[in-house]
Amino acid sequence: MRLVEALISALMVAGLYATMSYGLALIYGVRKVINIANAGTMTLGAFVTLLIWQATGLDPLLCVFIVGPLFFFVGALIEVFLVRRVAAQAPIISLLLLFGVLLVIQAATSLVFGGDVRSVRPAYIESVVKLGDITLAYNRLAVFFSGLVILVGLELFLRNTFLGRAIRALAQDVEACQLAGIDTKRVSMIAFGIGTALSGAAGCLLTLVFAFDPTNPFGVLQLKSFTIIVLGGLESVVGVAFASFVLALAENVTVTLWKAQLENLVSFVLLVVVLVVMPGGLAALLRRRGVA
Amino acid sequence: MAAVLEIRGLAAAYGDLQALWDVTFDVPERAITTLLGSNGAGKTTTLRVVSGTLPATSGEVRIAGERVTGRSAHHIVDLGVVQVPEGRHLWPNMTVEDNLLLGAYSPRARSARVATIGEVYALFPRLAERRRQLAGTLSGGEQQMAAIGRGLMAKPTVLMLDEPSLGLAPILVDEVFRVLSEICEQGTTVLLVEQNAHRALELAATATVLENGRTVLAGPARQIADDPKVRSAYLGL
Ligand SMILES: Nc1ncnc2c1ncn2[C@@H]1O[C@H](COP(=O)(O)OP(=O)(O)OP(=O)(O)O)[C@@H](O)[C@H]1O
Ligand SMILES: [Mg+2]
Repeated sequence: MRLVEALISALMVAGLYATMSYGLALIYGVRKVINIANAGTMTLGAFVTLLIWQATGLDPLLCVFIVGPLFFFVGALIEVFLVRRVAAQAPIISLLLLFGVLLVIQAATSLVFGGDVRSVRPAYIESVVKLGDITLAYNRLAVFFSGLVILVGLELFLRNTFLGRAIRALAQDVEACQLAGIDTKRVSMIAFGIGTALSGAAGCLLTLVFAFDPTNPFGVLQLKSFTIIVLGGLESVVGVAFASFVLALAENVTVTLWKAQLENLVSFVLLVVVLVVMPGGLAALLRRRGVA
Repeated sequence: MAAVLEIRGLAAAYGDLQALWDVTFDVPERAITTLLGSNGAGKTTTLRVVSGTLPATSGEVRIAGERVTGRSAHHIVDLGVVQVPEGRHLWPNMTVEDNLLLGAYSPRARSARVATIGEVYALFPRLAERRRQLAGTLSGGEQQMAAIGRGLMAKPTVLMLDEPSLGLAPILVDEVFRVLSEICEQGTTVLLVEQNAHRALELAATATVLENGRTVLAGPARQIADDPKVRSAYLGL
């Protein structure tokens, strides 16, 4: 029974992990840069959700519909006015630039919101759902399904529309995209926007599960995202989803069978192990076996 | 014959390294033109400048009389000039069908994609069989067919092909040349860069020879094939 519970609760957390990591993979695909500002926009998403919730009582999950489009524009602006300008230079330059964006967001949020730890607690926050012997926290269940809907929607978009296919194609071969008549600048901008919208949406979902403060913008979660994309490969939704589950499960098993304090260490250890023993992550492993 | 593509005094560089100095030739409508030259002569670079993936430092390109130098690559495709690049450049992790469909990205081609993909599958039945397969897992010959098919999906008025027969078995080279004459018969202008000067000069109506980034000869293919310099340098006669 404990095993089933561990699996289910890992699955719940994985939905959130995948949502917060997938934006990194999308942005890496089109610009070949790790969006280090991801944790910043995620925190900002959480604060915007807090503001909306305090002002109107709108459920944090529904805030996704406001934060998503808003952050799409934020991401598109970051791409057009910052990242695009240094695209021809060494990748480290984009990385530093995005690190600057992170610091600016961090400073601005602490200025506006102070240093207190915040949380969003709608009425159902303590509710549970019972499935036979298994008890599930309602908020985690809701976050899981929201993440699932977002990712499935995204996957359908990437597979079945011209724009979605262009985003995938741009990750694989830029010159081929230009020669196929794709406006690669526009597609990069849109992909950066979607990636940032995803981080904002993850921020909305996070408010239901974690407390947050401006000075430490989900730092641990950033590390977890890195582990997930290294493990899952940077160009596959399935890989990211699977890696999220692997990480969540590893954390869960460590916490239940060993020590709760070790939870955050798990992603670090996993990151190092993956980097050393399986470059390319799970995706490369699957490809070598001819599965993906 | 009217020239659908006019290239005048083109120069281009990769950073400090100048690759084209003075490239000038016409591509007449509804015929096959071949661009010849030894390795490093600037054939691929010329196609890049025409396609808009590399800027010209001087000179101009005209499509149907309109000056297009400096336009972005996707505008050139919108105008109907489409390149099938050296080395295929398929998207390896996408299916053959997705590769073909993306070829019809430009608005002009997109609305006709269902009909066009039918034509491409009729031309290359092999691709229809492999439509669900990832492009990266195709054989070299199949990849070349997919690359040509993707180019056709854009409904080109001018199709430029960069060494489409490179690395193919003789029987597949025949297949590629057969397809090219078929494409031309259906009314598409073809600009063909080829290592195989024999075959290219047989097929083409006009030819241009590049050396060190300069046009050194241009004219009817028959005349170029009889040129003593061409006979010794490119035809090994
Ligand atoms: N990406 C690049 N960066 C720098 N120099 C390049 C690049 N591509 C080509 N060149 C140089 O430009 C010149 C022309 O090259 P280009 O590829 O156009 O020749 P080509 O006629 O297509 O030759 P090949 O028959 O070998 O394909 C060569 O000197 C080459 O070294
Ligand atoms: Mg070449």
